[in-house]
Amino acid sequence: MTMRTYEVFLKKDGKDEFRHVGAVHAPDDEMALPLARESYARRAEGDLMWLVDRQHLLVADPDLLAPNADKPHRHNDGRRVAAKRKNERGQV
Amino acid sequence: MTTSDQLSPGSREWLLAFADDEHMIGSRHAAWIGLGPFLEEDLAFCSIAQDELGHAIRLYEFITDEVDRFALLREPAEYRSAWLTELPCDHWDQALTRHWLYDQAEQLRWGALSRSSDDGLQALVARAEREEAFHRQHAELFLSRIAAGGEEGRARIRSALEFLLPYAVAIWEPVAGESEALSDGLITTGSDSLAQQWEDSIKTSLEGWDLSTSWPQPISGQDNRHARTPEFPALLASLQEVITIDSAAIW
Repeated sequence: MTMRTYEVFLKKDGKDEFRHVGAVHAPDDEMALPLARESYARRAEGDLMWLVDRQHLLVADPDLLAPNADKPHRHNDGRRVAAKRKNERGQV
Repeated sequence: MTTSDQLSPGSREWLLAFADDEHMIGSRHAAWIGLGPFLEEDLAFCSIAQDELGHAIRLYEFITDEVDRFALLREPAEYRSAWLTELPCDHWDQALTRHWLYDQAEQLRWGALSRSSDDGLQALVARAEREEAFHRQHAELFLSRIAAGGEEGRARIRSALEFLLPYAVAIWEPVAGESEALSDGLITTGSDSLAQQWEDSIKTSLEGWDLSTSWPQPISGQDNRHARTPEFPALLASLQEVITIDSAAIW
């Protein structure tokens, strides 16, 4: 049997989103489902499960993401605004 | 819940044989922990082993109040396991083939209990049947892949079948007092009828996989499940290793 790799996603009932929980090896789609269930959901970790054959994933080139590594202005955590307002209050 | 003193000897014998089968097959499957052919299958097979041991516990509860001691500390002659479940099956092809043969039979045995006169048993059947649907799916998916694969795998399954089928057929040898279990309403189908349904279903699958084989006579000598295989004492000794350290301990 040639093995394929599947990425496994689980979701609990409710508003939580699907989360990636790991991968399984299986010979084909039909067997991947029960094997994923045994590997990741045997303690009722999820109510819904997605499997994606890894060969169907679109994988981005790291260079596509790299230019965004140095853009602190996109991390708006409010600290600069808070500091400015505090400073203004101090001047009153 | 039915207690042992309410069970007729025949009903007790039927439940005991089923419980001991579940206990032994679960224990034999569990020996594959860490040895399965790949990680995912290791987990799946050991989950199945756990399920079977769980069924054994629930069935023993209808017979005794002291499940651990009863399950582990009887004399070999007091067990009623079928020889199929006692065999070691040290090769994966054998373990997988036995899992399939056994679980096809197990489904029919739960079915025989499903209209039992006992409410507690009916609840147990409902739970067990949900688990068994997965067990059979697992066995059939795996075997069908091997059957559709290369000649080496097919030859291994053929040879496992040749070895195991006489033992598997013998699982239907009726327990002493089966007619009493039927008249009590504990079960609603006798072993003759279950054996025929099982044989039809096994033959249909084997034909589908182009693995048909001559149908064997049941292996003789089980003696209504009173006799044990030569491998049984070593199996029982290994199961007793922990409880005999301190048999009064509560786990």
